[in-house]
Amino acid sequence: MNENENPLLEAAVDRELKALPILRAPQALLPRVMAVIERRAVSPWYRRAWQTWPLPLQVVSMLVLLAAFAGLCFGSWQLVHAPLVASATSEASGWFRMLNTALSTLGVLANALALAFRSLGPLVLFGIMMALLLGYATCVGFVTLYVRLVFARR
Amino acid sequence: MTDTQEFETFMRNYQDMVFSTAMRLLANQAEAEDITQDVFLKAYERFGDLRESKTAGGWLKTVATNLSLNHLSRYRSRWSFFSDLLGKNREEGEEAEIEFPASDNVEENLARSERRELVEQALQALPTAQRVPLVLFHIEGLQYDEIAAKLGVSMGKVKTDIFRAREALRRKLRLTLGDEYLAGAV
Repeated sequence: MNENENPLLEAAVDRELKALPILRAPQALLPRVMAVIERRAVSPWYRRAWQTWPLPLQVVSMLVLLAAFAGLCFGSWQLVHAPLVASATSEASGWFRMLNTALSTLGVLANALALAFRSLGPLVLFGIMMALLLGYATCVGFVTLYVRLVFARR
Repeated sequence: MTDTQEFETFMRNYQDMVFSTAMRLLANQAEAEDITQDVFLKAYERFGDLRESKTAGGWLKTVATNLSLNHLSRYRSRWSFFSDLLGKNREEGEEAEIEFPASDNVEENLARSERRELVEQALQALPTAQRVPLVLFHIEGLQYDEIAAKLGVSMGKVKTDIFRAREALRRKLRLTLGDEYLAGAV
């Protein structure tokens, strides 16, 4: 038998849960739903869900959407093949090439820094870290002192 | 009888069932009311089909279940994480939330309606990750694989969560399972 199975417990829980009566909905629920329905009924068609629009409007809106989609596809195709867009694309690719060069330069610099750090040895690295921490702590100390002195006089 | 009056009658007939379904899955009255409202607003949009349909009750129950589960996954913490991350803590932590009589044999001391009230409370106090599959299995009558598909979790997880939920109910309600079980449990 699976460790997650226990027929006796399952039967007992099933008995208990099946014996539960249906819960009564709050009395205010029906008026609340009817109020929403009434409010929706008096609202104009364009503010209601599409499924509730009159059938002719549904057909027209669907046709308009299809036409808009077709127009968008056609327009995109035209745009892609337009000479102006082709020159803009080549200009953009030039920008991307520059960006790529800048990124690769940064990568080379980062690699050089990593190499330099690796050649320094652990003790020197520890010393640098300690110096940085000390500098940070000194800054915090000075700022704290400054704040205390300035605000203590008020 | 106008459409609106007819819908009112329709809603009167089914509102308790829909509310119960939502309430047992969500364990929160305000959220269950909102879900019930949404279910009946959807029903109103399709009232032309539902009015004469013999399966209207089933349709309402399915919509109520689906909307409740959507609500849980959308507005509450991702419940698939619940039992993995918090399940054990909540399971243990919530033990003390309901005050049950100290008697060793609850069934003998409580009237039937009080007993059901306790079961209802114990059910609603279960963590979401345990309560939902338990309700779907025992009250809605779904199979393990159907629950796993609905909740988007593995069948193993469903079985484990249901088992933990039953164990939690057993402890909370001190269910009497007979000598055979007790002997096995010791």
